[in-house]
Amino acid sequence: MGAQAGSPTLRAPSVSLFSRIYGFGSVYAKTLRDSRLAFIIAAGVLGGMMLVAGAAVGSVFPTPESRREVDKLIATVPSSMSGLFGNPINVGTLGGVMNWKYGPFFALGAGLWSILALSGTLAGEASRGSLDFVASSPFGKRRLAIEKLTAHLTMVGLAMVVLAVCAWAGATIYGDASLGDAIPPVSAIGFALWVGFIGLAFGGLAFVLAPLLGRSGSAGVAGAAMVAAWVSNGYSALAPVAFFSPFHWTANHVALVGQFDWPSLALVGVVAAVLLVAGVEVFARRDLGVTAGLSAPGLPAATLGVGGPARRAFGDQLPRALAWGVGLGLFGAMLAAMVGSLAGQMASAPSFRDVFTTLFPGYDLTRAGDFLQLYAQMLFIFAGYAGATLVAKWASDETEGRLEMLLGTPLARGRWVVGGGVGAFAAVVIMTAGLALGIGLGAVSGGVEVGGAVTGTAALGLYAAAMVGVGIAVGGFWRTSMAAEVAAIVVTATFLIDLLAPPLRLPDWVHQLALTAHMGKPMIGIWDPAGIVACVVIAVGGVALGAWGIRRRDIG
Amino acid sequence: MTAVIRTEKLTKSYGSHRGIVDVDLEVDQGEVFGFLGPNGAGKTTTIRVLLDLIRPTSGKAFVFDIESSADPAAIHRRIGYLPGEFALYDRLTGRQTLEYFGNLRGGVDKAYQTELIGRFDLDPSRRFREYSKGNKQKVGLVAALQHRPELLLLDEPTSGLDPLVQQTFFTLLRERVKDGATVFLSSHILSEVERSCDRVAIIREGRLVRVDRVDALRDLAHHQVELRFEGVPPVAEFQKIPGVSDVTVEDHLIRLRVLGPITPVVQAAARLGVTDFLSREPTLEETFLAQYGRETSEATEAAEAAAAEAGEAR
Repeated sequence: MGAQAGSPTLRAPSVSLFSRIYGFGSVYAKTLRDSRLAFIIAAGVLGGMMLVAGAAVGSVFPTPESRREVDKLIATVPSSMSGLFGNPINVGTLGGVMNWKYGPFFALGAGLWSILALSGTLAGEASRGSLDFVASSPFGKRRLAIEKLTAHLTMVGLAMVVLAVCAWAGATIYGDASLGDAIPPVSAIGFALWVGFIGLAFGGLAFVLAPLLGRSGSAGVAGAAMVAAWVSNGYSALAPVAFFSPFHWTANHVALVGQFDWPSLALVGVVAAVLLVAGVEVFARRDLGVTAGLSAPGLPAATLGVGGPARRAFGDQLPRALAWGVGLGLFGAMLAAMVGSLAGQMASAPSFRDVFTTLFPGYDLTRAGDFLQLYAQMLFIFAGYAGATLVAKWASDETEGRLEMLLGTPLARGRWVVGGGVGAFAAVVIMTAGLALGIGLGAVSGGVEVGGAVTGTAALGLYAAAMVGVGIAVGGFWRTSMAAEVAAIVVTATFLIDLLAPPLRLPDWVHQLALTAHMGKPMIGIWDPAGIVACVVIAVGGVALGAWGIRRRDIG
Repeated sequence: MTAVIRTEKLTKSYGSHRGIVDVDLEVDQGEVFGFLGPNGAGKTTTIRVLLDLIRPTSGKAFVFDIESSADPAAIHRRIGYLPGEFALYDRLTGRQTLEYFGNLRGGVDKAYQTELIGRFDLDPSRRFREYSKGNKQKVGLVAALQHRPELLLLDEPTSGLDPLVQQTFFTLLRERVKDGATVFLSSHILSEVERSCDRVAIIREGRLVRVDRVDALRDLAHHQVELRFEGVPPVAEFQKIPGVSDVTVEDHLIRLRVLGPITPVVQAAARLGVTDFLSREPTLEETFLAQYGRETSEATEAAEAAAAEAGEAR
């Protein structure tokens, strides 16, 4: 073939083996490389949870008698909460308990990962400006989107392999085959496929919306849709909405006990595929980086805070604090409104109450307040993550390059840290007020003592403030780029220790390491002074440590 | 004359990476001091040490006779700083941003702030995230100038500015200097240093290689000379003159380079019947390239030669 005049034939330079291995050979490889940490976290958390849950269930219900009792009693589960957990089938087996008690949380976790990854893989890069460089490479936008998407699918696929192997291994190691605990490979694969497909369906929604709404808008909508789908499937009052819920479609796919509903799973897969393909097309057809955005109502100029570092920090944190406050408030309102009926049903079903007493020792779940306290334990992780995101906002002064200019003024380093801490604490107050308002409103209809419930939310605020202190200490003393991550790791570790130490029968001192184990039961008016003091000391001490530490290190 | 900035054997290392090494520098009050060097030479590192944003590995830095790490707030009170790369608050408008930075200094003269905004032709009502690169730079410049600082530390200040705004900026600098301010201007754009600075320091690979007046640096450089003759050019006559190098001949034209006094070349040309004589005074850019270029070009040529040899071997 001869070269035409004016269009010389150029031989494309080959991509070196080093580049290919190191992840610089293509957009696909680079995306895989960028997803390494997320994959390790997702696969580690999902696989690890499966192993840990297997160990916990095996140790809590070790005998045939306890299994039979559980199987019998779970059948009385109130319809109003059957779907918040999974479908209670063969709960006397290890697979049945895991599918029922933890199944939806695996799917929600996978969904969260896919939403964050697929909302950000193109939109996040577009907002940073790096997408323009990539998109100016000699291939089309469609291929760019496909390569990015394929990389995420690869990572999800690998994570699901890990999950399936862990499900099979957990049952093999911790289960008792004579009690029906074995989870054959096809069941493990069926469960992993369900988790992956549910995750990709909501990730696909984020992916298709990202070119239109930007990263945060698409992640917010997809996340809200996922929670709505899960709750609508679980709460009988929302049954009409459940028609649109993939959780509802696949309610009969209880793979870990060998009950499969492949058509429903295929439907979720088709929905995910359609959304993902649509996402590629939308990205290919729209202008790069031009989004409609979800514009929240603007805050008054007075709240922006240009009077000083603390006011500026608070002004910067305010939208985030309000978002957390509204989100947690709505969630709290829903929970508080629900606990009255749940407690009533629990009181009318003594056998069911006995099961829950075994699972959650120390709670009288015939009382609405205790039920709310049980849910509040779950809210601690949200409050902690809220604190971590406030730390991230504070840290952005340095990570995004503002701090250098701020410190070029007479603003001392320590004062910047203290101002940031004060601003973050004020943001925690706003967030907690939103949560208290929601819980208070819900408590009115949920039969919970309103005063106690509202006051009890202060414990969540204190915990969030403590996590702010942890993050600011790390950011001031070490580096701000790691501050929020470390705070989030502390939150996760605290949650896991508090959750798993009792059923795993770990030594008591291990459980005592969790700050949330020292908070008492504030929703019913039982406060533990040790936890309150610890939170205050960690919060204030963390800021003081950060202010001292930043004097010793280089900026930037 | 009082030194506003003084460094003594200032050294900063980033682990095994070189930052700056043994930098001795003095900047006098009322002068515009250019800090010139290629990317990565250590310009920003020097400024950041002066501001106590980073701490020296060894040596000392003084600003207004205050050691930089001893009382940085006292220094910052009297300076205006524009970083080479910066970001500000996306949600704040330009005016709110300037108000905030003014408040951090205890307030500024609003009339002067407004004057600066007008002279830079900045629309202060837009949010920072909506600004173009040049307009963001204008916000940074106003923030650095609005409190009439005694010392301006400007890192690549004209980055992103169009020529008209650059002109406004240099006019403002001259006004500030006329009022007694000192300017420390880091740049790799030679023409802007040449047109605005009294003295210039050249930094390379973390070390100061020269500090001198801009004029002196020009004198230091070579002259490019072109001589036209009617007949065959007398090349040998010029080659033996001290300071002459790089002699090339093209028909009746001789091109040569003269280091030091040019008089012997002029005299020889007159004696040998030159028909046309052209001597060009070097720009600072050429001086800079003469200072740096040789080693770089030698290295490049060596690399190219090696590559060519490798190609032939294949």
